[in-house]
Amino acid sequence: MTRQAMFRRIVLSSLIRRRSRMLVALLAVLIGTTVFLGMGAVYYDIPRQMGREFRSYGANLVLVAAGGGSVLKLEEARRAIALLPVDKVVGATPFRYETMYYNKQGLTVVGTDFSAVRKTSPYWRVQGEWPQKDDEILIGADIAEHTRLYAGSFIALEVSPPKGRKIKKEMKISGVVHSGGAEDGFVLMPLAGMETLLGAGGTAAVVEISIAAASEEIAAFSAAIQAKTPGLTPRLVKRIADSETTVLSRLQALIFMVTGIVLFLTLICVGTTMLTVVMERRGEIGLKKALGADNKAIIFEFIGEGVVLALAGWLPGLVSGYFFAQMVSVSVFSREVDLPFFLVPLTLCASLAVTITASLLPAAAAVDVEPALVLGGE
Amino acid sequence: MNILELKDVSMLYGQVMALQNISLSVASGEWVAIMGASGSGKTTLMNIVGCMNKATRGTVTLDGENISRLDGRDLTAIRRDKIGLIFQQFHLISYLTAVENVMIAQYYHSMADEQETLRALKRVGLTHRAGHLPRQLSGGEQQRLCIARALINYPRLILADEPTGNLDESNQNTVLDIFHQLHAEGSTIIVVTHSPEVAAHAQRVVSLEFGRLVSDVPAQRFH
Amino acid sequence: MFLRMVLGALTRQKKKLLMMACAMALGISLATAMLNVMLDVGDKINQELKTYGANIIVTPRGASFLADLYGVEDGAGVSDKYLSEAELPNLKTIFWAFNIVDFTPYLDASVSVNGHEEKVPLLGAWFAKHLDIPTGEAVDTGIINMKSWWDIRGSWLKDDDESGVMAGSIFAGKQGIKTGDKLTIFARDNSGKVQTAFLTVRSVFHSGDKEDEGLLAPLALVQGLTGLEGKVRRVEVSALTTPENDLSRRASQNPRSLSRQDWEIWYCTAYVSAIAYQIEEALTDARAKAILQVAESEGKILQKTRLLMLLLTFLSLACSALAISNLVTANVLERSVEIGLLKALGATNASISFALLTEMLIATGIGGVVGYGTGLGLASIIGHSVFGSAVSAKALVIPIAALLVLLVTIGGSLPALRMLLRLRPAEVLHGRQ
Repeated sequence: MTRQAMFRRIVLSSLIRRRSRMLVALLAVLIGTTVFLGMGAVYYDIPRQMGREFRSYGANLVLVAAGGGSVLKLEEARRAIALLPVDKVVGATPFRYETMYYNKQGLTVVGTDFSAVRKTSPYWRVQGEWPQKDDEILIGADIAEHTRLYAGSFIALEVSPPKGRKIKKEMKISGVVHSGGAEDGFVLMPLAGMETLLGAGGTAAVVEISIAAASEEIAAFSAAIQAKTPGLTPRLVKRIADSETTVLSRLQALIFMVTGIVLFLTLICVGTTMLTVVMERRGEIGLKKALGADNKAIIFEFIGEGVVLALAGWLPGLVSGYFFAQMVSVSVFSREVDLPFFLVPLTLCASLAVTITASLLPAAAAVDVEPALVLGGE
Repeated sequence: MNILELKDVSMLYGQVMALQNISLSVASGEWVAIMGASGSGKTTLMNIVGCMNKATRGTVTLDGENISRLDGRDLTAIRRDKIGLIFQQFHLISYLTAVENVMIAQYYHSMADEQETLRALKRVGLTHRAGHLPRQLSGGEQQRLCIARALINYPRLILADEPTGNLDESNQNTVLDIFHQLHAEGSTIIVVTHSPEVAAHAQRVVSLEFGRLVSDVPAQRFH
Repeated sequence: MFLRMVLGALTRQKKKLLMMACAMALGISLATAMLNVMLDVGDKINQELKTYGANIIVTPRGASFLADLYGVEDGAGVSDKYLSEAELPNLKTIFWAFNIVDFTPYLDASVSVNGHEEKVPLLGAWFAKHLDIPTGEAVDTGIINMKSWWDIRGSWLKDDDESGVMAGSIFAGKQGIKTGDKLTIFARDNSGKVQTAFLTVRSVFHSGDKEDEGLLAPLALVQGLTGLEGKVRRVEVSALTTPENDLSRRASQNPRSLSRQDWEIWYCTAYVSAIAYQIEEALTDARAKAILQVAESEGKILQKTRLLMLLLTFLSLACSALAISNLVTANVLERSVEIGLLKALGATNASISFALLTEMLIATGIGGVVGYGTGLGLASIIGHSVFGSAVSAKALVIPIAALLVLLVTIGGSLPALRMLLRLRPAEVLHGRQ
């Protein structure tokens, strides 16, 4: 039998036959790995998921026409949006403002894309239905209260196009929108419907964009837009972008600190358990020395045990750590966790580091153990 | 030729003189018993001879080599090559099987050889127990295993510390039979014991009292 | 004798028990820190979210919805309804007064600057107005606190500055106005007379919003120019709120539709709709609306953060409880010889278990107390480094921590004890373990 085979036999026997103690050590490694991987994933993934949640505040970049003009071309806006990374753009919504009359009273009518507005302004509350057809509209809550109109009513809007005669058009109110902001005093209709009514297709007053990025990053995007699309001026919505940076950085700092502390304490705890398990082996070390083992041989045996333990705890730890992270991610954000691959080898390194350190401490003490210990009798 | 020579060996633990000017020589192939009450210095002497401790004063020569000034690492090497240890408490590694407990001594020495180990087990009558763990063996079996382990590297000197202290009479006889066999084959044996009955099997009986050598006589006369 | 045995073990097994006490201290400090942070994180994040500004807007009841319309030509349907400035301190007397963080009134006017034809919006507001509240408190409130995201080149105005004005960045850019420039302002007051004011630009601000296109001045100055002394057009309120739920959504439709019991729950919870309702009660002819962009989103973020912290706390507690009880198991396993000896001496299983558990509990209990103190320290480090303020220590944490110590110690000892007690003393004593 080769020396390696005997070495393997000693190490494995020590692990397998000292069942209860090694289970304790294995459990410790397993917990350590679980927390390391789980917290690592939380540390890495949650701040970004949190960033997505902040998009519920709505648009953080607005495109307007350059040089104080009031009309921008949607074609140009589309080119500008194409400059942004696709995975970071939550939504982009055009808005076109026109004045129309209802019972001789002027109203601001906003033409927009309703499917996009639900992404950029997720906080709007609509009583009734979102408009499906071109002649369906939403009215603001203040207008609804003032005119005593409600979802399902019909409203006749009068408008005078730039050229031609006054037009009167019957629209169906599909819902009442309530946001607490300016929208409460607006009438909102599909952009396409407004274009058939008034012409001047492919234009808007502003395009609101919601980007999942920090304010410096958005500033960089807006510089790129400024340079590549001269017809547009991008404006950062400071209230949203800056506040998000402030709050999000606090939240991230919180998560970083919490994960850091949990990780640190758990690793210490795991290390202590390992230590307790190996500490009791002074007698065995003395015996092995009496049998002629030198320090090197004993240290190698302990390291060997540590490595096997680390590997044995690591594999199931990967699985339970993944479930840990997945549970957090799914129950808080309803999204799959995005586990970065580099955590897998990193977890192995961490568990090796802890088990080997814990095994080496008694092995280092082995140098001082007198073989005479075994002869001392009782 | 003398395999072991102690000249004026003293051992001090702090202020306590555990051994005082011991001089002793053991010839190759001799069977010596060391007797004495608790605290007489038997174990200290055993530690020094077994290369597990260094004497404070005096010289120890083992197999022609002066070991009294060697450091820990060299002592380990000498112990591995020249000495086979047998303990009262057996000191078997609980998680290794019988055959593995013997092999581990081979492994620390040079090469683990399972066939040779099995032959050694056969010699002490434990072939049928090769795959058992120490806790599954009786006291006598454990001590026989311990002897097999001590012999596996063909030591120049077999050191036994109260080898029968934990055994009943029949097991004690089995162990002593093995010692007789070894002696017949030419092994040098030193047995530390407080039992006159065990000591009587040796050729020579050395008695210690309070760290001093008080008598060194042939076994027959000791009787 | 029992006492002597336990004490003897405690003093002689110092090292091992110390190790266990240390591990327990670590675990409990983790639990204390996490629980305290978790219980406080809602309040802390809520405070942070105030950087988004107002979440309630108050306007005069019956004011035309056209008043603050975007892009509608001047003068169209401008209403002449106002709120009274004198009533505003009442905001700090409502049921949830403590949750009202900041508020500021606004009055807007349309003025011409330096004789140009073009009309420029002039907005009057409180900057950091000192108010004496009827309850005897005093507060300083205004837009300085509420518009944290504004960039100011120069400094904010003082509320009593009679001749100062701040220029919006777009307006300043168009007109080439710098800090220190003198402006002549013409405004038409409510009786139609033209009022003139000579003002100095104290600073230029960038808000990223439509205020950038005009001027900003102290409220009193704008009231003087327009002849609307003591009147304000609207009030923005920033309040700490509880995330909305079904009840509050129903209430915000129509508070009267609630049953009496629901109504009381709603009224006594800091829902944004409840606070808005109370503001309407406190001010004459006022209409308070939640700004959903802020209110809704902050509710969402708060809920997510709380849930996240709750889960992290729960999972990390579970893991550390497991890890420590594991350590306790390791400790008990190590003492097989001692237990074998006690059994050989004739001790009953119950008396051995009792002595061992008492000893373990004393060690872990001491660890727990130390850990609680350390945990409070950790929590305040987290609080200070993340939020810049201490995390308040919640009394609820103490019984939870004590329970954890008890459960973890007993849970960790029992399986190992049961295993060891099954061993026969001879086996243990003769090294045949």
